[in-house]
Amino acid sequence: MDAIVLMDNLWVIIGTILVFFMLGGFILLEAGSTRMKNAGHIAGKTIFTAGIGALVFWAVGYGFIYGEGNAFIGLSNFFYGDASTVEEGLAPAVDFMFQMMFALVSLTIAFGGFAERAKLSAYVIFAILFSALVYPVVAHWIWGGGWLGEHGKQDFAGSTVVHLTGAMAALAATMILKPRIGKYNKDGSSNDIAGHNQVFTALGVLILWVGWFGFNGGSTFGVADAFFGFVSLNTQLAAGAGAVAAMFIAWVVTGKADIPTTLNGALAGLVAITASCGFVEPWAAVVIGLVGGLMVFYSMKLFDKAKIDDPIFALSVHGTVGVWGTLSNGLFAVPALSTDIDWGQAGLFYGGGFTQLGVQAMGVAASGVYAFVVSYIILKVMNAVMGGIRVTEEEEIIGLDLSEHGSYGYPESMPEHKEKAGV
Amino acid sequence: MVVVNHSDNDEFEAYINCYLEMRQWRDEHIHEVWENPIALNQFHDRLIKKTVQKAIEKVESELGPAPAHFAFFIMGSGGRSEQSIWSDQDHGIIFAGNEGFKSYFLRMGEEISKGLSVVGYELCDGKVMSSNPKWCNSVASWERQISNWLNEASWESLRYFSTFFDSRVLIGEDGFLLRLKEHAFNHLKKDPYLYIRLFENIRHMKKGLGILGQFLPDSFGKKTRCINMKEVIFFPYINSLRLLSLKEGIFTPSTLARFQQLPNRYNNIKKYQVDFEKLLHLRLYFKKQSKSYEDVHLLHVDSLTKSEKQELKQIMKHGYRLFTETKHIINKGCSS
Repeated sequence: MDAIVLMDNLWVIIGTILVFFMLGGFILLEAGSTRMKNAGHIAGKTIFTAGIGALVFWAVGYGFIYGEGNAFIGLSNFFYGDASTVEEGLAPAVDFMFQMMFALVSLTIAFGGFAERAKLSAYVIFAILFSALVYPVVAHWIWGGGWLGEHGKQDFAGSTVVHLTGAMAALAATMILKPRIGKYNKDGSSNDIAGHNQVFTALGVLILWVGWFGFNGGSTFGVADAFFGFVSLNTQLAAGAGAVAAMFIAWVVTGKADIPTTLNGALAGLVAITASCGFVEPWAAVVIGLVGGLMVFYSMKLFDKAKIDDPIFALSVHGTVGVWGTLSNGLFAVPALSTDIDWGQAGLFYGGGFTQLGVQAMGVAASGVYAFVVSYIILKVMNAVMGGIRVTEEEEIIGLDLSEHGSYGYPESMPEHKEKAGV
Repeated sequence: MVVVNHSDNDEFEAYINCYLEMRQWRDEHIHEVWENPIALNQFHDRLIKKTVQKAIEKVESELGPAPAHFAFFIMGSGGRSEQSIWSDQDHGIIFAGNEGFKSYFLRMGEEISKGLSVVGYELCDGKVMSSNPKWCNSVASWERQISNWLNEASWESLRYFSTFFDSRVLIGEDGFLLRLKEHAFNHLKKDPYLYIRLFENIRHMKKGLGILGQFLPDSFGKKTRCINMKEVIFFPYINSLRLLSLKEGIFTPSTLARFQQLPNRYNNIKKYQVDFEKLLHLRLYFKKQSKSYEDVHLLHVDSLTKSEKQELKQIMKHGYRLFTETKHIINKGCSS
């Protein structure tokens, strides 16, 4: 293997590790954004669902995405085990590992919609079905030689494939699970159920931000021309712009420089630039991040008003902004990074007309609808078969740490639970 | 075994009934004055006075006449004569003589608190009531306590001091309270840096208007789209005038009277008096039908007409300007 090929492989496996470490970011982000009584559960479920997701991806997920098949789905390479090496490109196992991490991130995003009220068993079953039936199909359409890829859909690192898909599943879950106890009052007003640790949330965002250099930078699939540097530059600018815009708009509208909104702004910038980081100029990355930061603020308000309880704002950060990120290619993609390398068309602002914007919109609509409808059906069936996917009112009140796992993440901080007398 | 003394019970019930009658009288007559801030506050004074007199009568029937001269004084919005339809209790007792009389007056404070709560004045969350040993002291102890509050100059002690300073005697010896205020003025004159500390103590205020001039109501909970008039609109006026009164040695607690008694060199400040008068009227206009103390401060911004919104925003902007000008006066005149 040539040194340059080895470097390509090494770079992608570094990206793999960085993306996997993003799950650590999600653990802190989600645990910090929710209440103490559910913290251990949220942290633990991220680990075991990553385990389930890895096994399912190995068994069928990768095959559905990249196997030989048709425009809708791949149908080979199940129970993946290609140990071969290569003279150019990525070794199959390196590619496999990198792809798997994206599936795990998407799954973790989907579980954002489950937070603080879903049964542990619901996590287990949905982890299997999402990893087999939802994510791989969308990924195949765009990245695996499916019908959207053939249309020239641009999604550099997964605004649609990873983020929007996860968010649509989260939306389906949150609609079926209904709001948490105490979220809405009888008069229709909404309560702020504050997360228990903003420091955790901020650290979670920082870890995700660092991991994103693997997510976007690794999606160059090599070190040629050190293009990962340019991709990382765009990533950094968009995240910064997102954080600034979100804090600014929160301050202007509410008078408070709200920390959770600011943190979501940084994530919004990252999600927004994910599709376009390899297609746009740095100034455009700043604009894309700024718009993402503004959108996430209003999206959070909108979902809250619509009585859709989204405890960790997955729908806004990954869904609303995932859509914007994907569409932004249709506006800002430069010819040198699109038409000239035969990857779709340039954006509207670069003389590409509405062609690419149309393709991006179609991709968003088709992927979003598929992910939502299939997730909704799966969860509805699970709800019927499993006698509900939500814990009981009593379990929700004592917290999922105790009800689903038997011990609290913060035992010293919890009121002592009494054994049932006379049982 | 509990021995029930029937005559005690009868007496207890007689007083409770008396308080309940006063409550009924309140509910039946308050609408006659609820559009006029001055008449409303005279109504409150009359009701509180009657209740307190009844409570004193009850304690005298139990423990005999008061062992020393005393003053019962009210603080907070009552002290400032700025009560709305509903109000909570803030009161204290100053008595002559030694601390040995304290238990008597604490019992009196307890009965007063109970009576006022039946009549419709909620117990104070912060326990600023004469049933609390902190707010029921001999003249000498009060002087010591005021000195200690000012010497300590902590967040909490200055809060207590500011609360104490918005006070007036409702029953008893006026001179006791004047003496305490005089004591405070002398202390402050010796250490002008305290004016800055007192300003710092009230500097943080909940914002009511955004940079685009929009209202900033609550976003969550049962108070969604509401602004708290007391915290957001009244405080800049009340706090500014209290500070300037402390600086100028003005005894009166009423914000309007404080405006009037400021020396003529404060013309820049005095011009805001008209806004505060409007505010007192507007509050009653908006909230005269309030059903509880909790509700009386909450103003739902969507319930306002366009011109009401404009008027209120104007008052709020002027309040913030007044507060800023007060800050300059305090910083300029009092830095050591």
